[in-house]
Amino acid sequence: MSNPIYTMGIDVGGSYVKCALMSYDDATGNHSMVDKQTEKIRKKDPKDVVVDTIDMVLERNGLNYESDIAYLASTGEGEMVEKKTGHFYSMTTHSRGGKFFAPDAKTVVDMGGLYVRAIKVDPRGKVIDYKMTGQCASGSGQFIENISRYLGLAVEEVGPLSLEADNPEVPSGICAVLAETDVINLVSKGLSTANIVKGINLSIAARVVKLLGSLRAESPIALVGGMGMNTGMIQAIEELADERKKSNLEFVSHPDSIYSGAVGAALWGGYRYYKLKEKEAAVVS
Amino acid sequence: MKSLDSIISECRANAYDLNFSRAREWKEEEEGRVLVGYMPIYFPREIIHAAGAMPVGIFGGGDDKQIIKGDAYYQSYICHIPRSIIEIALDKHLDHVDGFIFPSICDVIRNLSGIFKQQKIGKFVKYMDFPQNFLPEIGGVFYQQEMSHVLKYIKEINGKDVTTEALNHSIELYNRNRQLIETIYNVRQDFPWRLTIDEVYCIVRAGTVIPVEEHNELLEQVCTHISEDIGDPQDKIKVVVSGAFCEQPASGLIKAIEEAGCYVVDDDYMLGSRMILGDIDASTSHPLQAISTAYIKQSQYSSSIYDVHDPKENRLAKIVKDRGADGVIFAAASFCDPSLLDAPIFQNAFDKMGIRYIAFQYSENINQYKVIKEQVGAFSDSIKLWEDEPAIPAIEDKIK
Repeated sequence: MSNPIYTMGIDVGGSYVKCALMSYDDATGNHSMVDKQTEKIRKKDPKDVVVDTIDMVLERNGLNYESDIAYLASTGEGEMVEKKTGHFYSMTTHSRGGKFFAPDAKTVVDMGGLYVRAIKVDPRGKVIDYKMTGQCASGSGQFIENISRYLGLAVEEVGPLSLEADNPEVPSGICAVLAETDVINLVSKGLSTANIVKGINLSIAARVVKLLGSLRAESPIALVGGMGMNTGMIQAIEELADERKKSNLEFVSHPDSIYSGAVGAALWGGYRYYKLKEKEAAVVS
Repeated sequence: MKSLDSIISECRANAYDLNFSRAREWKEEEEGRVLVGYMPIYFPREIIHAAGAMPVGIFGGGDDKQIIKGDAYYQSYICHIPRSIIEIALDKHLDHVDGFIFPSICDVIRNLSGIFKQQKIGKFVKYMDFPQNFLPEIGGVFYQQEMSHVLKYIKEINGKDVTTEALNHSIELYNRNRQLIETIYNVRQDFPWRLTIDEVYCIVRAGTVIPVEEHNELLEQVCTHISEDIGDPQDKIKVVVSGAFCEQPASGLIKAIEEAGCYVVDDDYMLGSRMILGDIDASTSHPLQAISTAYIKQSQYSSSIYDVHDPKENRLAKIVKDRGADGVIFAAASFCDPSLLDAPIFQNAFDKMGIRYIAFQYSENINQYKVIKEQVGAFSDSIKLWEDEPAIPAIEDKIK
C-alpha cells in the first residue's frame, strides 16, 4: 500500500546550503521533490544558515520537524547540521541524486564549488568507480563565481552569456591565480565578456572531459552539482567531447541539478528509514 | 556535582596542557613531591603513586606544538611523536618533571630515552623493558625487578620507602579508575550519542596528568551524567578504532571519524589507561607480584606485546563482536612500525572472518581531515546502504 513519507536532505557546500524536501514512497518507488531551497552562506555562520533554510522549507509546507520528517539527512559539511537523523558522504548522495534526475544515467558528474567528480553508478545508484580532480580552484565552481564577480556578472548570467560567444579564448594557466591574471589581460585586450566566460567554461570542461576519458565513462552522463545548471558549461563539455572524438557520449542535465546532493541524501534517508524499521521489527520479533 | 559540559572543558584543558599545569600545582602544594613522566603505551602508574609521586603521561605535542628543534634529532622517515616530545622538553615544558620512564614500544622510543640522557633532562631516565616471556617465574620476576628499579630512582629523590599498604591502596585507586573508564565505554556501547568519542578521549587523557583521586571523582560524575537519557541518537555505524595507541591523533581527527558517520564504540587511543583488564589484586602481601601477574594474565593485546599464544587478531575480533561493531578503522601514525607491521596481520585475518575495515595513516600534527572524512564517510555508507557487498576502493588511490 502506498504511504509516502517526507524526508529532507541538506547539502552544505562551500558556498551554498541546498535543501530538498522529498516525498518518499517505499511501496511504489515513486519519489518526488516537494520543495527546494538554496541559501548562500556568504559571511554567515553555516549552522545558522542551515537552521534558517530548514525552518523556511518546513514553514512553507506547513510541516513540523519532529512529527512530519521521517529522516533528515545531511551531506557535504554534515557537522554544520546539528539537527539530523543521519549523514551520507557526498559522492553517495550525488550518485543517487543524479539517478533521480536522469534515471538511465550510467555516469554522474558532480560539478561542485570545490572540485569535479566523475562517478560510475549501477542501476541502484551505487558507486562503482570514480575519478576526481585534486583540490585546485581552477577546476571548480568557486572559480567561476570569482571570475563572474570580477566581470561584474551574477553567477546565473554566466551560462546564457557563454552561449553567445563567437570567438572564445581559453586562459592559458591551469592555476586559478594565473588564470585570473589571464582574465584581466583578456579584459584589457578588449575581448567580449561572452568570449571570456566561454573560455573559462571551456577550461573547466576540458578537465571534465579528461576525467570522463580516464574513467571510461558510459552514457548517459548526468551533469549535476551547481555547475550543472550552467548551460554554457554543458555546451562547452559537449563541444569538447565532440572535438575529442567522444561524440558517442550523451549528456543529460536538469534545471534542479544543484540539488542532486540534497535529493540523494533525502532519498537515501528514506531507504534507511525503512531499513531501520525492518531491523527494529526483527529485534522485537 | 559539576555539569557534564564543565567536566569536559576542564578535562580538555588538562588533556592538551603542554605545561602540565595541574601536575606542577600538585608538586608545589607540598615539599618533596616528585613528578615522574612516562611515555606511551603503558606503565603501572600504581607504583609511582605508592611512592608518593605523581605519574604524568607525556603523549606528544599534538597539533599545538610547532616542531623546530625536534626535527634535528630524527630522520624524516621516523614518526612524529619523538620530535614533539623533544621539542616540549627543550622548550622547558617538562622542567618540573623529575624523572622520565620510556616503556619499551619500539626503537624510536628507546632512542628517545637516549636523547633525554644525553641532554641531561630530568634527574633520572629509565628505559623500561616489559617482559616478552609470559611465564610468571621468568617474565613475571623480571618485570618486578624493573618496577623495583623505578622505585629505587624515586627513593633517591624523595627518600621514601614504599610500603605494602601504600601499594595496595594505590592499586585500589587505579582499579577504580579502570572500572569507571570501562563503565563509560560500556554505556557508550549502547548509547554512543550520550558522549562523543572526542569527549571520552579528553576525559580519559586528562587522567594521565592530574592526580588519580581527582580523576576518579570526575569519572564518577561523568558516569552519573551518562546514566541519564541524554543526547539524540543518529543513524551511524559502530566502529572500533585500532592502531593509534602511541602517537595520538589530533582532536580534530578523533572528531572527524564520528562526524563522517560513525560511532566509535571502542578504541586504543589511550590504551595505557585501559591496559589491565579487570582488577589487580589489592589484598596481597606482594603487590608488585600482583601487578606483574595482572600484566601477564590480564593485559589487553598490544602491538608492543608479542604473545604468540594469544593471537591479537582474535582478540581484536572479539572486541568487535562484543561491542556489536559494524567494522574496524585501522588508524596508524605514519612510520609507526609496531602499528603498521600489525596491520596486515589484522587485515588478512579480518578478510577471512568477514569483518569490514578501512585503513589510513595520520600524524599527530595534521589538521586537514578532508580525505580521511571522505574515506570514513564512504565506509559508513557502504555499510549502511550495501551491507552485503564489498566497500568501494580507498579514496587516496583515486585522486588525480
